[in-house]
Amino acid sequence: MDDSQGKDGSRLMKKYIIRRILSGILTIFIVFTLTFILIKSAPGDPIRTLIGQDNDDPVLQAALEEKWGLNKSLPEQYFAYLSNAVQGDLGTSIIYERSVNEMISEKVGATVLLGLTSAILALIIGTTLGILAARHEGSAYDTITSVTTYTMNSVPSFWLGLMFIILFSTKLGWLPSYGMTTARKNYEGWAYVVDVMRHMALPILTLTMVTMPKYFRTAKSSVLQVMNEDFITTLRATGMSEKKIFSKYVFRNAILPTITIFGITMAYLITGVSLIEVVFSWPGMGRLVLTAINQRDYPTLQGIYLIMSVSIAVVMILVDIIYAVFDPRIRYD
Amino acid sequence: MTKIQKALRAIVSDKQLLFGLIGIAVLLLIILFQDVLETHDPYDYGPDSLAAPGINGHLLGTNKLGQDVYSMLIAGVSTSLKVALISSLISALIGILLGGAAGFLGGKVDMVLSELINVFMMIPTFFLELMIIAMFGNSITNVMIVIGLTSWASNAKLMRAQALSLRERTFVKSAIVMGETRPQILFNYIIPNGIFPVIANTTMGMSGAILTEASLSFLGLGDVNVISWGQMIYDGKSYITSAWWIATFAGIAIVLTVITFYMLGDGLNHVLNPKHISGGKK
Repeated sequence: MDDSQGKDGSRLMKKYIIRRILSGILTIFIVFTLTFILIKSAPGDPIRTLIGQDNDDPVLQAALEEKWGLNKSLPEQYFAYLSNAVQGDLGTSIIYERSVNEMISEKVGATVLLGLTSAILALIIGTTLGILAARHEGSAYDTITSVTTYTMNSVPSFWLGLMFIILFSTKLGWLPSYGMTTARKNYEGWAYVVDVMRHMALPILTLTMVTMPKYFRTAKSSVLQVMNEDFITTLRATGMSEKKIFSKYVFRNAILPTITIFGITMAYLITGVSLIEVVFSWPGMGRLVLTAINQRDYPTLQGIYLIMSVSIAVVMILVDIIYAVFDPRIRYD
Repeated sequence: MTKIQKALRAIVSDKQLLFGLIGIAVLLLIILFQDVLETHDPYDYGPDSLAAPGINGHLLGTNKLGQDVYSMLIAGVSTSLKVALISSLISALIGILLGGAAGFLGGKVDMVLSELINVFMMIPTFFLELMIIAMFGNSITNVMIVIGLTSWASNAKLMRAQALSLRERTFVKSAIVMGETRPQILFNYIIPNGIFPVIANTTMGMSGAILTEASLSFLGLGDVNVISWGQMIYDGKSYITSAWWIATFAGIAIVLTVITFYMLGDGLNHVLNPKHISGGKK
């Protein structure tokens, strides 16, 4: 590559990155506006819920409306909420009268622990199995792993979790089926870590099993695709060993698409973990979501949704940028 | 060779499509003979509460309220298929119109619509669906509409790509010269000729719709007046250690139905996708 082309490339790349970030910001803005419209058009009066159906005290009602800023005009409410959100304040739970930020920050650690661990495990296991299946295409191993992952793609994650509880907790008694730690046992140090890991095992197993198929499919098909390309045939003709061709050329090219899959998987996991947390009573955001649904606590739901959308947008943009850095062939469109 | 023979040969040569079609046929037969297949009224609260499979003529046991699990599974087929069909139709319709318009009209229209498509590809849709259902009520109609309204982006993306390439083709260009209006061209040439990848994708989307309905039900956002497999898993969760059969069989039914739609979608993709067709010709 001559110098002018390199400069041109990096200029294009900068433009591409800025474009991606702008479209991310637009997405979050639309999500924000959409949720505001939804909440405002939802049937049911939150003040009525707070003071109870039978209480008709207009003074109390007016006072509460003022307290929650509901007596202002809709545009005023919108911009007040927007300016708070931009400053990182997600509002206040109408049921618990607590800051949504606080409630989320208490729970987010447990959720990230599950989500990130299973994302990384699924990436490693799924990709490895997929590459092996491609290298032994048509073998019994290929058939078994392909059929298994195809099936796993159709399994509802929460149901799989319940089945693991039946098998590993009820029948075999190997692993705990709920919570993050054993109640009434104040483990410390290593004993605590082991305790948490035992509680994590089933949720992680479930999440890894349902996300793995995406990596398997991608890795398998991209290895097969690269192996069939002309330059590989040429390399074979030069007498280069299969092992060297694979490690030097096939692997690098085949691993690239998994970066994109990692972004998509993270997006799925950020919302999908909630379901699994409900199955295993894991003390993360899932439980927060569930109580917010049951109590019709819309500000909390809205706050959680915003946080999720921002995280997903950030992950997607990072993934696109990483991909662009690794694969210079990418078309910036 | 007639068109029908050609179609039959394509079906038999593509195993996924064949299995998918057989699966759909079985599901449709179950709906058709629902009354014959059900051993009990699935809505009927019988005297046997939490009976194990095989007891008192309950093939797959009963739930807490004494409803027959096997008959509920049979009744659940039509719920799942209804959700899959209606939500996918909505999603396909929006996707085809927006994507077709974006690709064919180009310019500013395309710019705005493409950005909208990108935004909807990036939005975490499951949580959006969950919020809307929580706010506007969990009837099965709402569930179907919401799934349709939030899942059209991939259809639009495919249709846009088709429209972009079709508008450069001679028959479209000559229609423009002949003075046909833009909506006429869009509906008479662009959409009919570019719809095939969208059909395959919509079929795939049906499995997604079934899984989404089940997930919403599992969070307590299903329609309690309708028997659905997701609702059965939700009910069975509390009895997972004592009455495993309630959730287990419903989950198996979901897996089989979702696989059926996946295979059908994959198979259709092989047969209908222009890339595959041109690649497959010898």
